[in-house]
Amino acid sequence: MLVLLASVFTVLLVPCMAQQDSKPDPAGLATGDKTTVVDAGGNPFLVSEPADKNAPNYAQGKKDADEFQAQAAKEPLAMKLADSVGHIRVATNFAWTLNTGYLVLFMQAGFALLTCGLVRKKNAAHLMMLNFAAYVFAFIAYYAVGYAFQFGAVAVNAAPANLGGTPTLNHFLLGSGLWGFLGGKGFFMTGPAYDAGSNVLALFEVVFMETAGYIIVGSICERISFWSFLLCEMFVGAILYPIYGCWVWGGGWLSQIGNTLGLGHGYVDFAGSSVVHAVGGFCAMALSVILGPRLGKFGPDGKARAFPAHNLVYVVIGTFVLLFGWMGFNPGSTLGATDLRISVIAINTNLAAIAGSATAMLFWYAKFGKPDITMACNGMLAGLVAITAPCAFVGPTSAFIIGILAGFVVCLGVLFNENVTKIDDPCGAISVHGFCGVLGSISLGLFADGTYGAGWNGVGATSYLGQAGRGVTGLLYGDTKQFLVQVMGAAICVAWAFGATFIVFKVVNAVRSMRVAKEVEEEGLDVPEFGLQGYPEDAISISATAV
Amino acid sequence: MKKIEAIIQPKKLDEVKEALLSIGVEGVTISEVRGHGRQKGHTEMYRGAEYTVDFLPKVKLEIFAPASRAEQIVEAIRTAARSGKIGDGKIFVSSIDEAFRIRNDDSGDAAL
Repeated sequence: MLVLLASVFTVLLVPCMAQQDSKPDPAGLATGDKTTVVDAGGNPFLVSEPADKNAPNYAQGKKDADEFQAQAAKEPLAMKLADSVGHIRVATNFAWTLNTGYLVLFMQAGFALLTCGLVRKKNAAHLMMLNFAAYVFAFIAYYAVGYAFQFGAVAVNAAPANLGGTPTLNHFLLGSGLWGFLGGKGFFMTGPAYDAGSNVLALFEVVFMETAGYIIVGSICERISFWSFLLCEMFVGAILYPIYGCWVWGGGWLSQIGNTLGLGHGYVDFAGSSVVHAVGGFCAMALSVILGPRLGKFGPDGKARAFPAHNLVYVVIGTFVLLFGWMGFNPGSTLGATDLRISVIAINTNLAAIAGSATAMLFWYAKFGKPDITMACNGMLAGLVAITAPCAFVGPTSAFIIGILAGFVVCLGVLFNENVTKIDDPCGAISVHGFCGVLGSISLGLFADGTYGAGWNGVGATSYLGQAGRGVTGLLYGDTKQFLVQVMGAAICVAWAFGATFIVFKVVNAVRSMRVAKEVEEEGLDVPEFGLQGYPEDAISISATAV
Repeated sequence: MKKIEAIIQPKKLDEVKEALLSIGVEGVTISEVRGHGRQKGHTEMYRGAEYTVDFLPKVKLEIFAPASRAEQIVEAIRTAARSGKIGDGKIFVSSIDEAFRIRNDDSGDAAL
């Protein structure tokens, strides 16, 4: 009990120390010391004097702090050793976060293969270039302003303790305290962000932003012009993703409504079912609606025509690469290997993946007589998307069930868009990422079992729902408010992602059409847009054969 | 018996197929070919060097029909495949000496 109290008081003290100690540490020489030493249970090594002199256990807390100071004076070598231990702990977590971030970066290749394989051969180079340029231009936008908007104030309410706390990122541009709307430090990743800890966070978070950025490719491909695509990517990287991301992960208002409005642990999304996938999926939906369907996709009677995938080999390999990368996406979101929940997260992620794929295969088999390979792959991705929010907070049975639900949602979603809404979605991005992203967010509100996440978003550090050490909990385990806040957060995500994108790009499209010309779309975008063919069997020409 | 050979724009294949079906032509062979007539290719740049995309993708259809039907088939293809622009393609009609069905002993017009 007093150990938990001590950790609460330390947590309260750290922000105070942060405001005093706000110099960035670009060489990493001052990051990680005895203040960052904790044991397996999260109890800090340093026992500090309780800040609140009027707290009921102040006397006991003060006695423990004094005893610690006496011991520290008697064993100076132990205190010096503690500095090294703290440094190594943070270093372990740096390595973890960077390496899992690299896995997520590799997902770019997976998505490029997946989407290229799913479209027609005449657009192969176009798809590859969209995926490639997405990484480049969204990064530029995020580097310039996106990171600062999303994490410029993270130290205020959501300091990443595993990485040393990034104390220099401590100011909201819009809002303040528990009602933050936009971060304001770290523009161009310099100044307060030119810091070892901040750079780890930046690397990890930029590749998450990139995921939202490339999701839209799956819906808008085969008809979007390159210039307008670059605008879309920069919009995602600078505005759309970071703002909602600030509200949920940057210490912003959505994460803090457990404190401000008493709603559970506030809105929770562990690795981004909503922050990454639903944002990408509903941005994709808005753009698809504005662009309109591909030429010939819907016949004169409105019936959908098939445009079969040109390379199923890419589709399957791409899906496997994405699965592999997700081993960085979900477990990496602890921002530290010292959080041993990482193994549970890794298994939960796989369980949802295979359950989603099996469900999609069997559903399609039952309904249409043959298991569709592309739906098997989409089913796996759907499971992965849906488990992304709840992965740390649920048990394996729930993870499996979430995967099954996602398998159904993605199959029904694809059929729904194809036959009812008539929104042309070549790679199923809206169903996989939009619909299943929302499912993930809500699943957390249903299935979270309270075994992890004590003190999440600053709520219930000592006890929650009457139990000491209880973590994030869903409806099925007794927390109605968490379910409500999850639904609310997901709804806000959809409204934001669809609404902001629709407004901005309706205007852009009115100024100049974002779609390529009819002849270009008929020929395929490879040569007209990029002067190159994905499969240049046509480059039989005099100039090429001349030796 | 006649062979009707048509080289058309790939994007017109669906329309031509529908047109042929609507006049009762059930047998057709298609192949993806490359070529050009007076429609020139275009020049592109690859890593500092220019190249010409000379041979453009086209679709070739081959239809074997009784002589009496040839004109109707030609008209159906021509109407469906025409866009009015250079690159629409051509149709050739030639005479065939013999035709046989492999499955049984049919020959001549009965094999078409």
